[in-house]
Amino acid sequence: MQSKMKESDPILEVENLSASTDNLPILKGVSLTVYPGEIHAIMGRNGCGKSTLSKIIAGHPSYNITNGDIKFLGENINSLEPEERSQSGIFLGFQYPIEIPGVSNLEFLRVSTNARRKFLNKEELDTFDFEELVKEKLEIVKMDHAFLSRSVNQGFSGGEKKRNEILQMALLEPKIAILDETDSGLDIDALRIVASGIKKISNAETGIILITHYQRLLDEIEPNYVHVMSDGQIIKTGESDLALELEKKGYEWTDNFIKET
Amino acid sequence: MGIIEKIKTNKSIDNQTEIQKICLNKLQSSPLPNPKSEQWRLSNKSKLSTLLDYSVNEKDLKLDITYPKNSQSTIRLVIGDNCQINLVEENYSINQLSEDKLVKYIKEQISCFDQNENWSDLLNLSLNSTKNTLGFKVSGSEIPPIEIFSHASSNSLNAKTLIIFLEKNCDIDLLQVNLGKDNSSLSQSTFLCLEENSSVNHGVVSYGENKSNLLNSLNVIQQKNSEYNLGSLHFKFNYARFEIRIKQSEGNARTNIKSMQITKKDEQISTYTKIEFNGPNGFLDQINKSLADDKSHAIFEGSIIVPKVAQRTDASQLSRNLLLSNFAQIDTKPQLEIIADDVKCKHGATISQLNEEELFYMRTRGITLTEASKLQLSSYFQEIISFIPVSKDRWDLLDKLLNEN
Repeated sequence: MQSKMKESDPILEVENLSASTDNLPILKGVSLTVYPGEIHAIMGRNGCGKSTLSKIIAGHPSYNITNGDIKFLGENINSLEPEERSQSGIFLGFQYPIEIPGVSNLEFLRVSTNARRKFLNKEELDTFDFEELVKEKLEIVKMDHAFLSRSVNQGFSGGEKKRNEILQMALLEPKIAILDETDSGLDIDALRIVASGIKKISNAETGIILITHYQRLLDEIEPNYVHVMSDGQIIKTGESDLALELEKKGYEWTDNFIKET
Repeated sequence: MGIIEKIKTNKSIDNQTEIQKICLNKLQSSPLPNPKSEQWRLSNKSKLSTLLDYSVNEKDLKLDITYPKNSQSTIRLVIGDNCQINLVEENYSINQLSEDKLVKYIKEQISCFDQNENWSDLLNLSLNSTKNTLGFKVSGSEIPPIEIFSHASSNSLNAKTLIIFLEKNCDIDLLQVNLGKDNSSLSQSTFLCLEENSSVNHGVVSYGENKSNLLNSLNVIQQKNSEYNLGSLHFKFNYARFEIRIKQSEGNARTNIKSMQITKKDEQISTYTKIEFNGPNGFLDQINKSLADDKSHAIFEGSIIVPKVAQRTDASQLSRNLLLSNFAQIDTKPQLEIIADDVKCKHGATISQLNEEELFYMRTRGITLTEASKLQLSSYFQEIISFIPVSKDRWDLLDKLLNEN
């Protein structure tokens, strides 16, 4: 499957990645390459390893890489800490964004943004300059300024939490964003706001991996590639029509691929 | 030499007062608390004995501690420093209690003391003549915040006693600071009486230096329609014990407590609370937090007593604890004694470590593990610190704690 995007170097290369937690193998040889400007969707049953893949790329300390490599912009990042991966441009949008009581959202966003800016050799922003920047980014996800004075995600509705994730993505300007079930728990309007936000933030230089169960997000953001995962492996890769077929036939249909594999 | 002999033979105590004699007499039969009693069973015996080892000293050495700058609107008092107060302003007055009144009040209190439960107070009153006792009555309105300091000098066991009467319809912000110097022991006993419709926002901040010890006892009586809010913080003591006893004498009063203790190295800090409702419609909302690191030991024991007269009491007691090391120890025991049948009471305890998912979330946003831990601790501390009536500009307790931890 060739695309003109592949004329440049890949942003992310996952090569034959196997990983475990508590000696339990979760990923069993996943390979995935994302080039600038590409949108990939990963689909699969609950428990097939989609979220684990995203957490391992982001550097979750509970998982051990038992085989394979993760390369970001050509560099092996297997041993990088989560914060180093984030600072260098990897963003993970959480399926269940974590509440941090007592930590103001505004301060949290400012510290995060400055960590990324420092890596990019950009000037760190003081509270006033940051307020200006965040005001502009709030527009993208149509969030009220009042959210900034609350504790991180505390008391936010499901939709507000997801919008807060996209706001963070907008501020951090990552090279690659992995969005884990960003569409779950969203009503139709919120889904459109989030999808539109993602489209505004992404560009020809960035890559996106959407982890989802449903076609409805892919109606809003058309992926270049769709991967189907099962039991810790990518069992089929296709273009956007693969998601449509999956929606029509269900995951039982993919069981045949496993048998063939 | 036992503590009783030490007090009796101490040359710095010129003449024993009537109160001292009564208390010494009470202590004579059992000079130390019963180590098997509920209130003392977890207390580190060797640390308690170290606390009592220092020479008894009634005469204060010059206090060489730098306090935060005082604002003009705050009344600042240092117990033991020939401390006297008599203020009569347009809207309020603060009057020193006469010695007769103090003696009468203390004798009434002693008559209700239990040997184990009030051992810290008995010791305090045995050690202390009138020099290190401050007692005053507050009345009126628009009263400025009051800051009261107690300290112990190095290589000494010092006792300080504070008695405050708050008259009807009176509101105050009161910050009490207990400071321990190197190798020192401080015994602090505080008695607060809140009359009808009065209200106190009371902060108790206690912090020591190297090998400081503290016995801190707080006795509060609330009359009806009074409100007592306590925010407390104890850290950096080799051994510290904070005893809180609150009695809503007629019910129909409100009590809010947010307290925290932080232990490191091999320190032991404990908080004991006893809240009694002696009438209907009482309210209590209490949270105690402990944070234990290294090989330290933090203890919380709380009891809420709701007799039959205390119908429609609404009381909640929660103990939240953070264990930062595999070698640290936390003991917590929130408990309820309920006889009344129409009440709403709940209690609970949690012990956890720093939340790994929260840490991971912050790290995926580029925040280093150290910074993420600090942010998490800061949020843990914030709930308590924001409840202490302290001017943030002058007392940056959060910074102090984050730099310590």
